[in-house]
Amino acid sequence: MMHNIIVKELIVTFFLGITVVMEPALEGTGKEGKKVSSRKRTLAEPPAKGLLQPVKLSRAELYKEPTNEELNRLRETESLFHSSLLRLQVEELLKEVRLSEKKKDRIDAFLREVNQRVVRVPSVPETELTDQAWLPAGVRVPLHQVPYAVKGCFRFLPPAQVTVVGSYLLGTCIRPDINVDVALTMPREILQDKDGLNQRYFRKRALYLAHLAHHLAKDPLFGSVCFSYTNGCHLKPSLLLRPRGKDECLVTVRLHPCPPPDFFRPCRLLPTKNNVRSAWYRGQSPAGDGSPEPPTPHYNTWVLQDTVLESHLQLLSTILSSAQGLKDGVALLKVWLQQRELDKGRGGFTGFLVSMLVVFLVSTRKIHTTMSGYQVLRSVLQFLATTDLTVNGISLCRSSDPSLPALADFHQAFSVVFLDSSGRLNLCADVTASTYHQVQHEARLSMMLLDSRADDGFQLLLMTPKPMIRAFDHVLHLYPLSRLQAACHRLKLWPELQDNGGDYVSAALGPLTTLLEQGLGARLNLLAHSRSPVPEWDISQDPPKHKDSGTLTLGLLLRPEGLTSVLELGPEADQPEAAKFRQFWGSRSELRRFQDGAIREAVVWEAASMSQKRLIPHQVVTHLLALHADIPETCVHYVGGPLDALIQGLKETSSTGEEALAVAVRCYDDLSRLLWGLEGLPLTVSAVQGAHPVLRYTEVFPPTPVRPASSFYEPLRERSSLLPRLNKPCPAYVEPMTVVCHLEGSGQWPQDAEAVQRVRAAFQLRLAELLTQQHGLQCRATATHTDVLKDGFVFRIHVAYQREPQILKEVQSPEGMISLRDTPASLRLERDTRQLPLLTSALHGLQQQHPAFSGVARLAKRWVRAQLLGEGFTDESLDLVAAALFLHPEPFTPPSSPQVGFLRFLFLVSTFDWKNNPLIVNLNNELTVEEQVEIRSGFLAARAQLPVMVIVTPQDRKNSVWTQNGPSAQILQQLVILAAEALPMLEKQLMDPWGPGDIRTVFRPPLDIYDVLIRLSPRHIPRHRQAVDSPAASFCRGLLSQPGPSSLMPVLGYDPPQLYLTQLREAFGDLALFFYDQHGGEVIGVLWKPTSFQPQPFKASSTKGRMVMSRGGELVMVPNVEAILEDFAVLGEGLVQTVEARSERWTV
Amino acid sequence: MVARRRKRAARDPEDRIPSPLGYAAIPIKFSEKQQASHYLYVRAHSVRQGTKSTWPQKRTLFVLNVPPYCTEESLSRLLSSCGPLQSVELQEKPDLADSPKESRSKFFHPKPVPGFRVGYVVFQKPSGVSAALALQGPLLVSTESHPVKTGIHKWISDYADSVPDPEALRVEVDTFMEAYDQKIAEEEAKAKEEEGVPDEEGWVKVTRRGRRPVLPRTEAASLRVLERERRKRTRKELLNFYAWQHRESKMEHLAQLRKKFEEDKQRIELLRAQRKFRPY
Repeated sequence: MMHNIIVKELIVTFFLGITVVMEPALEGTGKEGKKVSSRKRTLAEPPAKGLLQPVKLSRAELYKEPTNEELNRLRETESLFHSSLLRLQVEELLKEVRLSEKKKDRIDAFLREVNQRVVRVPSVPETELTDQAWLPAGVRVPLHQVPYAVKGCFRFLPPAQVTVVGSYLLGTCIRPDINVDVALTMPREILQDKDGLNQRYFRKRALYLAHLAHHLAKDPLFGSVCFSYTNGCHLKPSLLLRPRGKDECLVTVRLHPCPPPDFFRPCRLLPTKNNVRSAWYRGQSPAGDGSPEPPTPHYNTWVLQDTVLESHLQLLSTILSSAQGLKDGVALLKVWLQQRELDKGRGGFTGFLVSMLVVFLVSTRKIHTTMSGYQVLRSVLQFLATTDLTVNGISLCRSSDPSLPALADFHQAFSVVFLDSSGRLNLCADVTASTYHQVQHEARLSMMLLDSRADDGFQLLLMTPKPMIRAFDHVLHLYPLSRLQAACHRLKLWPELQDNGGDYVSAALGPLTTLLEQGLGARLNLLAHSRSPVPEWDISQDPPKHKDSGTLTLGLLLRPEGLTSVLELGPEADQPEAAKFRQFWGSRSELRRFQDGAIREAVVWEAASMSQKRLIPHQVVTHLLALHADIPETCVHYVGGPLDALIQGLKETSSTGEEALAVAVRCYDDLSRLLWGLEGLPLTVSAVQGAHPVLRYTEVFPPTPVRPASSFYEPLRERSSLLPRLNKPCPAYVEPMTVVCHLEGSGQWPQDAEAVQRVRAAFQLRLAELLTQQHGLQCRATATHTDVLKDGFVFRIHVAYQREPQILKEVQSPEGMISLRDTPASLRLERDTRQLPLLTSALHGLQQQHPAFSGVARLAKRWVRAQLLGEGFTDESLDLVAAALFLHPEPFTPPSSPQVGFLRFLFLVSTFDWKNNPLIVNLNNELTVEEQVEIRSGFLAARAQLPVMVIVTPQDRKNSVWTQNGPSAQILQQLVILAAEALPMLEKQLMDPWGPGDIRTVFRPPLDIYDVLIRLSPRHIPRHRQAVDSPAASFCRGLLSQPGPSSLMPVLGYDPPQLYLTQLREAFGDLALFFYDQHGGEVIGVLWKPTSFQPQPFKASSTKGRMVMSRGGELVMVPNVEAILEDFAVLGEGLVQTVEARSERWTV
Repeated sequence: MVARRRKRAARDPEDRIPSPLGYAAIPIKFSEKQQASHYLYVRAHSVRQGTKSTWPQKRTLFVLNVPPYCTEESLSRLLSSCGPLQSVELQEKPDLADSPKESRSKFFHPKPVPGFRVGYVVFQKPSGVSAALALQGPLLVSTESHPVKTGIHKWISDYADSVPDPEALRVEVDTFMEAYDQKIAEEEAKAKEEEGVPDEEGWVKVTRRGRRPVLPRTEAASLRVLERERRKRTRKELLNFYAWQHRESKMEHLAQLRKKFEEDKQRIELLRAQRKFRPY
C-alpha cells in the first residue's frame, strides 16, 4: 500500500499553506517548514513557478526596428509552420527524440568492436543440414524446424561483408529504443542452388546465427546476447547484441544474415510462384490430381527482403540525406505511429514504411525537399487519409519492364500493396488490411485535428498516447491462441499455413477480421487487432511457440447509430442471396414477416435496454466465431460492460438506467405541459426549464416512482405529508427534481427584493392550489418552492422572475446613479434560475447526440463520490468534464461506451494542467476559434482571481460558476493523484485476458489516510444499497412494490448522513475536513487541518471548539480534541456506531 | 500584557482551569456519560466608552464557545441558578457594532445549522453576572429531567417542523404586501406632490413618471450613450489611408507577432520544465 503513504504525505504537505498554487505531484515534502512561514507571502507575491504569466513587453521592445534575421524567421514560421508555438514545440520534441552526438560516438565505437568480432568468428566444416550435432551445447537453433527433414549442407564461414543498414545511418532513428541494423552477407560457399526452396535458406540463416551467437556470447563486450525475429517474422531470426555496462539500454545492434547479391533469381520469387512444396511441407501432394501448387507470396517476400537491404538504404539516403526537413518529418511520423501503437509487432506499419512513403511522395512531387518537418508530416497524413492502398496500390518502380508483375497480381496475393523500386517486392506484405485501415482512420482524425486549428493540436497529435483500451469502445481477447489452429483448419487455410510456415495466428488473422467486420456491419466503425509483440529469448532456449505469443486482442470502434437496432435484416426469402445469408448466420437466421408484407431472412438479437443493445456486438462475435471458426465462447473474453454494474440500479441487472431516466424525463415533460396550460394564474408561464441532474441524464442512480407504505410513516394529515418514524429504519431517500418556472414580466412586479420574494411565495401557494384543483396532484408549497407529486416522482418547482437578479444587483451611488454590481445573492439566483437550466438543456441535447454520455457522466461521478471527494465537486462541474470528452474527443473519437469514456475521464483528470489552462467545453459549438483564444488570454491575465479548476462554457465565459466554491487545490490534487493511480490499474485489469477480476477495486477509497473514521449505522443510511459493495441485505425502506392507497407527500430529502455532515462541517469546519460517499457510504473520513492545530494566541472570534492551555508559561489555544471526538458521537446520536481515532497527530 | 498574563497563570492554583485574561472558564458537557468537556469562556459584557450596545452593561454575561447542541433554553436553564434571567441569545459571531435586530420571518429566513456560537445572557440583576463568573461546573446540557434532542431525534423533529403551514405563510405574505403597497402608494403620492414644484434654489426635479420622461439614471444607460458616440466616430475615420497609417499597422502586426512569440516561448519553457516533451 505504498501509494497510500504517498497520498497521505501529500495531503499533509498540501495543508501546509498552498493557496492557488499547486505543486507538481511528488515534490515538496522537503519544503514543509519553508512553506508554513511563507504562506502569507505566496498570497501577495506573484505565484510560484509553473504558472504562466501574462507577458509584459516594454513599448521599446515591441516597436523596435526588426532585424533581417527576425523577419526571415517570422516569414518562415508563417509559411512552413502553422504557428510559432507549433514550430517551437516541434523543435523541442525533435531535440528530445534525436540522438545526441556524444551518444552517436559511443554507438559508433561499439559498432566497430562488433564488426571486428564478427569477422573473427571461426569457421566450421561442412555437415548435412539435418545433422546439427556440431552445434555447441549452450545454444539452440532459433527456428521451429518443422518438418525437420530437409536437403542441403551447411558450413560456417565469417561474413563476406558487414554493413550497417537502416535508420541509424539516415539519422532518422528516434529515442528511446535505438536499434542499429547490421546486415551480414553470408559467403557464397555456404549457399547452394535451390536454397530458396522449402525453407532451406532460412534454416541456414538460423544455423549461421546460432553459431555466431555461441561465439559472441562468450565475449565480455556484450551485456546481453539474445535472439529475436526480424519484423516478427518467425522464419527470420536475428541476433540482438547489447553493450555491457551503463550503455546496455542505449543501443541494440541487430544482426541480419543475408544472401550474397544476385544469388536468388528474382523471377522465382514473384508473388505467384510457389517455393514451399506441399509434398515436403504436408507430406502429400495437393489433392493428388496434379492441380498447381499454391503460391507462397509471403514466403517469397521474406526471402526477397534479405536481398534488398542495401539498395533500400541507398535509395533512402539519396533522398533523405539532402534535406533536414524530410528527416524531421520522418522522425515526427515515427513518434506519431508510436503513440498510436501502430509500428510495433508483427505486421506493424513501421518507421521504415513511412520513410519509404516519404520517398514515394518526394518522387511524385507531393513533398518538396524544402518543406519543414511539420509539412512533411501533414502531407504524409493527408496522403494516407485519402489513399486506400488495399484497393489502389502504389509503386516506387519507374521502369516499364514487361517482365515485371502487374499490380493486380500483388493485390491478389496481399491485402496492402506498396512496391519498392525493383517492382518485385511488396513493402507492405505483412501489413493486414485492418492495420492499414486503422492507420487511415488515425490519419483522417489527425488531419481533422490539424485543420481545426486547435490550440493544443501538437499535444494531442504527437504527445498523447492512444493505447488500445482507451481508443476503442470495446475490446475482446482471444485466449488461448492455440484455438486458432483449429480455426485455421475449419476455415480451410492450409495454403496460408504453408505460406506462413505454420504461423497459424497470422494465417487466421485476416479471415477472422473480415468475418467479424461483415457480421458487425452497421454497428462497427472500425475493427483493429493487436499485433503480436516480437519476442526476445535467450540463446540457450528454443524459440517461443506460436501459442505463447500472448493474446490476440481486437478493438471495436462502434457506431452509435447502428447500436439502436436489434435486427439484422437479410434479403427476401426467394432471393438467391438468402441462402448466403442463412449460411453466414447459421441457426440464428430465421424467416420473418414484416409490417410492409415482405418476408425476409433476419437475425434478431435479445436486447431490451440501452446497455444490452450496446453489448449486441458481443453476441454477434461469439456466435460467428463459434459458427465459422470453431472458437468456443470460453475462448472469447469480451470486455465491454464490466463497469456497467456500478451504475445499475438496485434490483436491475439488465439496464444501466438510461430507460429509468427517460421515464422520469417523460414525466417531467407531462408536468411542464400541465404548467403551460394552467388556468387562473395572474401571470402566464413564460418558460418551464429542468434544472436537475435527472433531467440531463446524469443522476448516478435514477429515481424510481415512490409508493410509500403508510404503516411505515407517521402521517401528518392536516398537511397531507408523511413523516419519518423514530422506531423504524430511515425511509427511502426521495430527492425532488428541481424545475424552474419563469413567469412573464409585468409592471405589477414590485421593484424591491424583499417584496419580490413575498410575491413569489404567493405564486408558489397559488401554483400548489391550482395544480391540486385542476389536475388533482398532491402539492406542498413553501416560501421558495412548490413540491409536486406526480406519478410517483416528486418535482420541486421554483417560481422565478426574470428581473430579480437585476433587482438584487442594483446599487445606488451617492450621486443617484444606479449601477449593477454582482452580489452573492444575485450570483446565486442567476446561477440557479438562468445558468443551471441552460446547462441542463444543453446536456440533455448532448445525450440525444451521444447515447453514451449518460453512462460516462454517471460512472465518472460515481467514481469521484466513491473516493469520498464528492463534496468538493459540484454535480455540474463533473458533468461538464464528462461532456468535454464528447465535445472535444481529440485525438480519439467520441466514446460510444461508458467503459472507454470513463477511462478517458480518468486520463483527462490525471493529465490536464488546470493551473495553466481553462477546460473549454464548447456546448452547441457556440464558441469560435477566435473567441477561444480570447478566453485563454483572459484566463492567463486573471488566473490568480479564478478558482483552482476553471471550466468555461459558451454561457459562462469568465467566471466558471460551477467551480467557484470548490474544489480546493488540495482536493483537486488528491483527485488527480487518485485518477493517475486508478487509470493504469483499471486498464491492466481490462486488458487482462483472464478476465478483469474485481472491477470494483478502483472504486474503493483508501481509508488509511484519514485521522478519524466515523462508522455509521446502516439502519439510518437511506441509500445503503447503492454502495460500491452493495450489501446483501439491508433494511426495509417503507416502499411498496404496487401503488398503495396513500397519496400523501412522501418524506423528501431526508438523509441523516447528509444532515449529520452539515452539522459537523458547521461546527468543526475550521478544524477538520469531512469526507463521505453519499451513495451508501458507511464511513465518514475525518482529516484534521494541520494549520488549525498550531497553538494560537487567544482570540474571542476563534474559540470554536478550542481550549486554553498554558504552554511554557504562555496561554495558547488548542483544539479540544477529546471533547470534539465525543461531540462527533453526541451530534450523530443513533446514526453513529463508533468513532475511531486512528492517529495521534493532534498531540501537538 | 504578556507579563501580566504570566503572573496570573503562575498565581493560579494547580486545579484551576486555565482561562484567558478577563474570562472565567466553565466546563460544559453534553451529559453525564461524556468524559471530556468543552469550556465556556465567560465575562461581563462591556464595550468601550462611548459606543452604544444593545445589551445592558453590567447585567449582561458574554459567553464564548457555546457547543452546537446547547440551545438557548438549555443555556438559560443552566444559568438560572445564578439569578433570574431576562433574555438569552445565541449568535454566530460576537456583534461588534450596534445593529438593530429586526424580527425575521421564519418562512423566508430559515434558521441556520448551529455550530459553536457566542451567547449574550442578560440577567435581571447585576449580581447574576458575578454569580455566573464564579460557577464551577461542569454544566450538563442534557439531563434526565430536561433531555436535549440530538442525532436522529433532532433530525426527525426538524423535518416535522420544516413541513410548512400554507395558511400561516399566506397570512404573512398578505400582511407584508399590504404594508408594502401602502408604503409605495405613499411614496408615489409624495413624488406626485413634488412634481414640477421648484425647490428653494429653483431647481425642478424631473422624473420618469413626469409628462416628458427622461433617460433613467443608470450606469447601463450612460454606457449605451457612450458606445453610440464611439461608433459614430469610428464610422467617420479613415483607415490605412495615409502612408503613416500603413506603416503603423504593419508595425502593430509585428508587435503582435512578437508578443505572441514571447508568450509561446514562455509556454514552451514551462512545458520543458514539466518534461512534457518526452513523448513516451
